Amino acid sequence: MFYQTRAKNLTVLLVLGGLALYAVYGGYFAREIVVEIALLAMLAIALDLVAGYGGMISLCHGALFGIGAYLFGGLTALVGTPVWLATLAALAGTALFGWAVGAVTAGIGGIFFIMATLAFGQMAYVIVFEWRALGGDDGLAGIPRTDLAGIGLDTGDSLTFALLSLAALALSYTIAAIALRSSFGRTLTGIHANEERMRALGLNVRRHKAAAFALSAAIAGAAGLLAAQHTQYISPEYLVWTVSGEALIVVILGGIGTLAGPLVGAVVFVALEHVVARFTDYWHLVIGILLIAAVMAGGRGLYGEIERLLAPGPGTGKGGDGA
Amino acid sequence: MKTTVRTVTAALFAAALISQAAFAETKAGLLLPKSGNYAALGEEIDAGVVLALEEAGMADDIRLVREDSEAKPPVGLAKTRKLVLQDNVDVLIGIVSSAVLGAVRNFVDGAGVPLIVANAGNVDATGKDCSASIFRVSFSNAQLNRPMGTWMAGQGIGKVYTLAPDYAAGHQMIEAFISAFEAAGGEVIGSEFTPFGKTQDFGPWLSKVGASEADALYVFYAGGEANSFLSQYRAFGMGETVPLYGPGFITSPLQTAAQGEAAVGIRSALHYIPSLDTPENNSFIAAFTARFKRQPSEYAVQGYDAARVLIEAIRVGASGRAEIAAALPGVRYTGPRGPLQIDPATHNIIQNIYIYETVMSDEGITQKLLDTVENVRDAANGCDLR
Amino acid sequence: MSGAEFWIVQALNGLQLSMLLFLLSVGLTVIFGLMHFVNLAHGALYMLGAYFGVAMVSATGQFWLALIVAPIGVMAVGMGLYQALIRHMRRQGPMNQVLVTFGLIFVLVDLVRILWGNVGLGISVPELLHGPVQLFGISYPAYRLFIILLGLAVMLALGLVLTRTAIGAMLRASVENAAMAATMGINVERLLLWVFALGCALAGLAGVIAAPVFSATPSMATDILIPTLIVVVVGGLGSLRGAVLGSLTVGFVQTFGAVLVPGLASLLIYALLAAILILRPQGLLPARQ
Repeated sequence: MFYQTRAKNLTVLLVLGGLALYAVYGGYFAREIVVEIALLAMLAIALDLVAGYGGMISLCHGALFGIGAYLFGGLTALVGTPVWLATLAALAGTALFGWAVGAVTAGIGGIFFIMATLAFGQMAYVIVFEWRALGGDDGLAGIPRTDLAGIGLDTGDSLTFALLSLAALALSYTIAAIALRSSFGRTLTGIHANEERMRALGLNVRRHKAAAFALSAAIAGAAGLLAAQHTQYISPEYLVWTVSGEALIVVILGGIGTLAGPLVGAVVFVALEHVVARFTDYWHLVIGILLIAAVMAGGRGLYGEIERLLAPGPGTGKGGDGA
Repeated sequence: MKTTVRTVTAALFAAALISQAAFAETKAGLLLPKSGNYAALGEEIDAGVVLALEEAGMADDIRLVREDSEAKPPVGLAKTRKLVLQDNVDVLIGIVSSAVLGAVRNFVDGAGVPLIVANAGNVDATGKDCSASIFRVSFSNAQLNRPMGTWMAGQGIGKVYTLAPDYAAGHQMIEAFISAFEAAGGEVIGSEFTPFGKTQDFGPWLSKVGASEADALYVFYAGGEANSFLSQYRAFGMGETVPLYGPGFITSPLQTAAQGEAAVGIRSALHYIPSLDTPENNSFIAAFTARFKRQPSEYAVQGYDAARVLIEAIRVGASGRAEIAAALPGVRYTGPRGPLQIDPATHNIIQNIYIYETVMSDEGITQKLLDTVENVRDAANGCDLR
Repeated sequence: MSGAEFWIVQALNGLQLSMLLFLLSVGLTVIFGLMHFVNLAHGALYMLGAYFGVAMVSATGQFWLALIVAPIGVMAVGMGLYQALIRHMRRQGPMNQVLVTFGLIFVLVDLVRILWGNVGLGISVPELLHGPVQLFGISYPAYRLFIILLGLAVMLALGLVLTRTAIGAMLRASVENAAMAATMGINVERLLLWVFALGCALAGLAGVIAAPVFSATPSMATDILIPTLIVVVVGGLGSLRGAVLGSLTVGFVQTFGAVLVPGLASLLIYALLAAILILRPQGLLPARQ
């Protein structure tokens, strides 16, 4: 069951506030990093929603991210659709794809579910890669950013864009938290805990899982379309399964089934990547060792530790509330 | 007499001081893949850059800021933005993957920072998407393949089958070859594209080629794919029946050590081969082997020339982004690969293309020059920067 | 080349790819069947096999020696990993297994890059297997025939061990019901270790024999992983017969897809996987019905 605890409030506010300060005072590259963290965190929140609370460990979230980016990029750069319409279309399109994946895979469990999502993700990747009009592996350039001049914001400015990304992250977190607190979210964790019982209670499990996946996909797609706006260029790289693997790493590192954990995980993952890469070309080696150590150590990731520090007391050791 | 010597010495000393002062430090961002599939190419280009700077004695005048693009477009763009906006570099050098070039193109163009491309061959980058800020000293995909089409038709080769990986560069290379080959009277009887970037079994395609009536097979494969393609081509025993041609990445000196005998007899075209017997190339090879304890490849020369054109621009007094960009189209010299200059119309390099055969000699695998197509200029493709 | 000849050669191509996939997937699938363990690093072991083979050949010039030593080397690495990591991961969910072995890919690939660099390395095959041979009037690469024969031999040997020996009976019993097998006095723990080691050795063997065809590159660790996982899922997790049928299906779909519908070749195996997962999620021939 999901509770928006005091520890969560504090963690989310600290991460968002810290990133905002870093963006304001950290210079140009800091803003790039803040955007990178914010978008990765959105993707990880989307994944935690289905993996941590719904028990659906997806390896197609990279593809969902990429589909959002390509729907937005393709519509704006190739068709000339207005940005607001392309945004809506990208969100609806990824949600639809997510809904379809969720519905088709609802009856599959465990490792088979992971494989199935991998298959759908890779199919999307191959289609985008082979689609000449979308630029193939050379990618697609000339994607516009949302024009917010009407409310006095210049999205071309790196600081403004970084802060907008943080706002999008905050919004995503809020939407996910509200969804999880509602009866919808409680049913989802119920399915995770005991699918048979929920079915016996007369619940349409398939429809419910599909809906959860659609919501998660829309958040992943939102991150993707923001990434497209950020770089103003997209390539099939976004859709490869290893992106999904990295998102899963972020979720685990931060604490699966905690919703706030992915934010912490994204900060640490991106920071590690940049710090380690400064010393060695072999930063994957370091990430790999850390990942293995983190999983072997067990526990609920970094957020579990934070919660222990913030709110010591009985029953908090387990950290997560994923089911 | 004594005074003359003294005056001359003083004059020389003064000149040295002035020339020292004339070169305000230039900051160059070096954007290359240090990890991923293209890491080996990044390493070669980096070595070439280092050699050019040391040879010119300008290692202190041009300060390199290195960044790893990971050959991933979003990463490449983020690093480019960092180099330009935070490090305030005067010039950018590098870029191996055309996808990364596509990603940074608009940003570099808008920022007005000169970018000297050291590998990525996408035709459009100096064609329909060309930019006043983007210069290329490597090659364009079409530039390498068009001369080969004309040359092969001239050799009396009638029917050709083509194979290449199914991605943008593969299509551009093959399209350029086909248009030149057919214009010169040749006939392409089959053209197929194999899935890109997987450990690839080429058996099905090779069997198709074997069953066709092709006189020759023209392919574009590079890196790991080149090795596996070549060994599978040999295993099918097609060397005697369907001779192999293509752009020379398939038998790049970077790969021939791994390929061994399989590479012998392949005829291909490149903008540089290590066996060119010119004073410039001989001294380049001597310097490179002394410095890095290995033979240079065409990628190392691309790195060398990317730094060398910058050095030449600085030597004529250019400093800062705008001046360097303005000076680059005027640069011309004879380097390891022969005479070269930057086309003022497209900013792509004008250079010789060498058609060669990979042969076995006493010292190991080397290249026998068959023909030189001089001063190959790429078609403007709708670009006019003059 | 006549029409019939063309299709026979393509069928041999399909068979050759299938055998390579079989060597890779049989270890993966038996490990899964026995210990419910998902090893994403299986492809990395295949890569190690190729590099060990390259190192052996460049040190001794002996391909046949490399063919034996490299798999043993990979087996040793596998046993080390088993003792250090995998043993502890068995009772954890598939997600943790996926993550740990995903991390292992990162580690092994970077270690290979540090030791052997980024440039692909090749092995030349012995004179005997060089070039094409004539077989019933059809010309076909000797080395590819060797791969086919080796694959068939391993297939046969595994089949015999599994059905005719005491170890095979213990193995089948443990796949069927590990707890029951343990109470019957079978040392399941030791059995697991050796099965894991054998799976690693086979991945290593696939690596050495693949090296002359594809050359050894760091990217082979991830390139081969997806096709192998597809074989395992299509065939049905945990069964030898499933691995055979899965390899043949994927090998032939890929080969004839390339011949008949070139544009869709890379999409086909994913479509196959999705279709199997939706229509028959347990795979074609699962270990347990």
